Amino acid sequence: MTISIAPPLSPQSGSTQSGSTQSGSTQSGSTQSGSAQSGSAQDGTAIAAQACNVVKIYGRGDTAVRALDGATLSIPAGQFTAVMGPSGSGKSTLMHALAGLDTIDGGQVLLGDTDLSRLGERQRTLLRRERVGFVFQSFNLVPTLTAAENIALPLTLAGRRPDQEWIDELVAILGLADRLRHRPTELSGGQQQRVAVARALAARPEIVFADEPTGNLDSRAGEALLSFLRRAARELGQTIVMVTHDPSAAAYADRVVFLADGRVVDELSAPAVPAILSRMASLDTSAPAYATKTATKTATKTAIDSALDSVMDEEK
Amino acid sequence: MWRLALRNALAHRARLALTLIAVILGVTFVTGSLVLTDTSQRLLDDQFRTATAGVDLTVRDAAAFDSAMGVEVERDPLPPTVVDQIRTVPGVATASPVVRGSGLLSTDKTAGGKAIVPSGSSLLASWEPAPVGAFTLRAGRPPAADDEIVIDAATAEGHHIALGDTITVQAERTAGLRVVGLAGFGGAAGLPGSTVGLVNLPTAQRLLGLGDGVTEVAVIAAEDIDPQQLQNRVAAALGTEYAVAASRDIAAASADAAKTQVAYLQLMLLALAAAALLVGAFLIANTFSIVITQRTREIAVLRAAGATGGQVLRSVLGEAFLVGITASIAGVGLGVATAAWLRSLAGAFGITLPDGGLIVAPRTVIIAFLVGIGVTIVSAIGPARRAATVAPVEAMRLSSASAATGGRARTVIGWIMTGLGAAGLTAVIAGPRSSVGLIAPVGAAAISVIVGLVLLGPAVTPTLARLIGRPLDAAGVPGRLARESAARAPRRTAATALALAIGLALISFMTVLATSIKASVASSYKEVISADYVIESARNEMLGGLSHHVHHHVSELAEVAVASRLRYGHWKDGEATRALTAVDPATLPEVASPRMVAGGLNALSGGGIVLAESVARQRHLAVGDSLPMTFSLTGTQRIPVVGLMLDRDAHALSTDYLISLDTFSENYREHVDASVFVKIANGVSDVAAKKAINGVLADYPTAQLRDQAAAVAGRTLMIDQVLGMVTALLMLTILIAALGITNTLALSIMERTREIGLLRAVGMTGGQMRWMIRGEAVLIAALAIVLGVGMGIAFAAGTVAALGSAIEAPLVLPVGRLLIIVTVAALAGLLAGLLPARRAARLDVLTAIAAS
Repeated sequence: MTISIAPPLSPQSGSTQSGSTQSGSTQSGSTQSGSAQSGSAQDGTAIAAQACNVVKIYGRGDTAVRALDGATLSIPAGQFTAVMGPSGSGKSTLMHALAGLDTIDGGQVLLGDTDLSRLGERQRTLLRRERVGFVFQSFNLVPTLTAAENIALPLTLAGRRPDQEWIDELVAILGLADRLRHRPTELSGGQQQRVAVARALAARPEIVFADEPTGNLDSRAGEALLSFLRRAARELGQTIVMVTHDPSAAAYADRVVFLADGRVVDELSAPAVPAILSRMASLDTSAPAYATKTATKTATKTAIDSALDSVMDEEK
Repeated sequence: MWRLALRNALAHRARLALTLIAVILGVTFVTGSLVLTDTSQRLLDDQFRTATAGVDLTVRDAAAFDSAMGVEVERDPLPPTVVDQIRTVPGVATASPVVRGSGLLSTDKTAGGKAIVPSGSSLLASWEPAPVGAFTLRAGRPPAADDEIVIDAATAEGHHIALGDTITVQAERTAGLRVVGLAGFGGAAGLPGSTVGLVNLPTAQRLLGLGDGVTEVAVIAAEDIDPQQLQNRVAAALGTEYAVAASRDIAAASADAAKTQVAYLQLMLLALAAAALLVGAFLIANTFSIVITQRTREIAVLRAAGATGGQVLRSVLGEAFLVGITASIAGVGLGVATAAWLRSLAGAFGITLPDGGLIVAPRTVIIAFLVGIGVTIVSAIGPARRAATVAPVEAMRLSSASAATGGRARTVIGWIMTGLGAAGLTAVIAGPRSSVGLIAPVGAAAISVIVGLVLLGPAVTPTLARLIGRPLDAAGVPGRLARESAARAPRRTAATALALAIGLALISFMTVLATSIKASVASSYKEVISADYVIESARNEMLGGLSHHVHHHVSELAEVAVASRLRYGHWKDGEATRALTAVDPATLPEVASPRMVAGGLNALSGGGIVLAESVARQRHLAVGDSLPMTFSLTGTQRIPVVGLMLDRDAHALSTDYLISLDTFSENYREHVDASVFVKIANGVSDVAAKKAINGVLADYPTAQLRDQAAAVAGRTLMIDQVLGMVTALLMLTILIAALGITNTLALSIMERTREIGLLRAVGMTGGQMRWMIRGEAVLIAALAIVLGVGMGIAFAAGTVAALGSAIEAPLVLPVGRLLIIVTVAALAGLLAGLLPARRAARLDVLTAIAAS
């Protein structure tokens, strides 16, 4: 893993053999040719964040896993980007790296003009607070705070005065007006996620990261949330990156980026579900090594199994 | 299930570590107290047994009782003829006259002439070779001439006195004597806390002013006679005027008398150990209940797999047993190590205990184990029962920490008990001051309040935490979150805070009560005593210990208008021992103005007694009645009641019973003064008077001239000493309670891992995280401060009111001291939060988010 900021490898030429790649060639030009050092893309759209040749390794020696293996990606400002890939493809790791939640072992991550790999823990925390918003799959809210307090959390942590007009607007759009004084336990799953979205947007961050935000929602609540994310990008110009494994969720995005083996291998603009499905299918078949790894990793145990294990094997 | 208990205990060792420490500290305290007091008692036994080891019988003047309040009574000396009389009794091998008394040693004038004032006694006795004498020569030779003395080797070493040096002995008469020998006592170089001077018989008689009298006769039986039989024979030969006792019995009785102080100390130490264990019990219960909440799923799985509720219960209790037994083993070891430290602590606060090898009685070990295991298991019963009721279906649920506030019934009973206790206290405080002891009701009310608060804790904690934690809002979101976190787990917060509150309540109770009593002592002394100065012995002796020569010399001074003295004595009131004060009715009114309720002080000169008002009421006595009193020297006498005095004023004279010095000398052999009140002559300046008096006192090294403030300080010294020692030991409960805060927060952080991860992800800095956790720790401490110091003051107010006219103390709040207590508690909270805060701030954000 060379730590360089040289022009990235073309994902297509590097790692994909499947015939299905050509459909992405038209759009992928912007990512591949976008210079990692520059703050803007070729076509003049501002770049909110970019990853360049990012390497992330978990473990050491024989058990080391290259979760990211030269991932390169640009996130255009004001767009809703979905990141997809099979389990273990590194999509969550990439998001964590872009969001300053995790350090990287090689390459470069830029948020705007800030090189995240040069920042310390405290600086990254402050950066997250000021410039990044998050929506997680679950446990997005602090249980002791009301919905309103949760929305203002990043601002109050920073000691900043919330922009009440903006928050009122968010709350109105998200339909949370009558829920502001409630605690998270008194909200439905959909409401909780909408509060999380409001919080993510409250500080007008440069970029919002959403990690499977609809993973725990029923389809109606999920659709409502995704519609809002799309509106936020289109009408409010909010840059949004969403990690998902659900093609119908990804279809709400302006663009889908596909990851496999820790690299960006493909992308689609204005994606539709069938197209996404076919790309995903090709990724799965084209990566047999992952199929087995994924299989073992996803063989989730039932609650009883794991609890029994913990009793019998004792806790670590 | 046993294997499961063992595995669980091992697996959770980090979580149980602080619990373990709490139990260890409690057991250590119990073991240390028992080892210390056992050792002290054994050493005293040994000491007295050694003193009489070679003697079979001791003949003394008859007395109604041997000792009172740990002080042996003084008897009339025996005439020398008694010795000859005893020698004629068949079966007596030897009969040796022994003279014993007290004589202060001073180093020679050339060596600074400093008085050697030991913490214990200054023994002066006649030298007898073994087997009658218990002292053995270590160097030199026995005292033969009238100007020779043997002293104990320990004193000689401590004060650099060598053979051939001259030292001064001050008893009834004062003399300079040459050291010709150094003696040891058994295996020791001297008597603990004492100085020993041994001279020949005539010198002892001369110095102690006994003429040709002797203190006692030591009898050794011939080999062919049973000592019991000889005792009867000697007794028959001497008649009832003299008491013949087996020396072994006398040694045992003397040891018992000396051990009373140790017994008080033991009681106090064990009470404090109980407080520490009580606080520890809160910590244990809390830990087990948190660990079980976190393991709900696992327990449900066990239940689903077929374990019965009973098995789960036993498994949890088994875990508690393991913790208890481990802690007991460690606690016993540490306790033995601590005993020596406790001894020096007691010494530092004025309680001298004999020094010597430690004794670990089997009983101590058994008690330590019973206490350690018992406390742990009893504390774990509640959580264990909750564990047993976990339903199998909870295995399928995503369980989180329950916000259970305790059942309705619990809350209602809690309100009732707190209410009743508070009402009881209020009634005592607001009610009329009565002379009848209301201490028991106050104690009951205090316990009711504590138990009530324990029951009520979970229900009121959220409100209380939000209220008291309001200032935390100033610290922004971290402060708010700290407050909410404390309010969210009310059961846990309440138990943690109450543990600290109990420790703080005890400390502030002691402080407020002691301060109030001291204030009362000071004000009554100042109101009643009008003397310019008082002369008292610097040694804190039961009877005062001031040489009667002092009064004589001081009253002859031209600068002194009046010198009036006080003597203390003990008498038996049936089985009970009481103290009285003897005064000079003629001169007392010139230096004190005690207010009489009936009769007059003058009437004392007729041989009567003046009683404190409340005592007369309790005994249903009025002027004209008489009080039966048993004196050691003269037996039971009926003394006519000639007056009643205000309680408070009587207490300024340290008594409930007041007689004249003449009556005193008729019934007592003791002739040391307690205090000499001095009124300086008109026209004499303070400086001149002090100079003159101090000139006289130069010959009496232990006598001190005190002004009013110093006199009051002398009277309250013991209160200060006890308060100091109790506070020092109660700090242990604060330590345990602080460990409890650390424990609770550490466990709560484990439970809140995801929340912490989320907060860090959305931008909470490590510093803010640390302040959040520390904030919660300080909030718990603040809760404890409000409850604990509040309770302490209320209980003290109740006690002061209950003591009523007995002390007539106004409630005095020592603001400075209370502020120190508050500060220490808040700091303890802050320190307790340091480690958990560090841990929370160091949690890896991603791992925390991903944690399930």
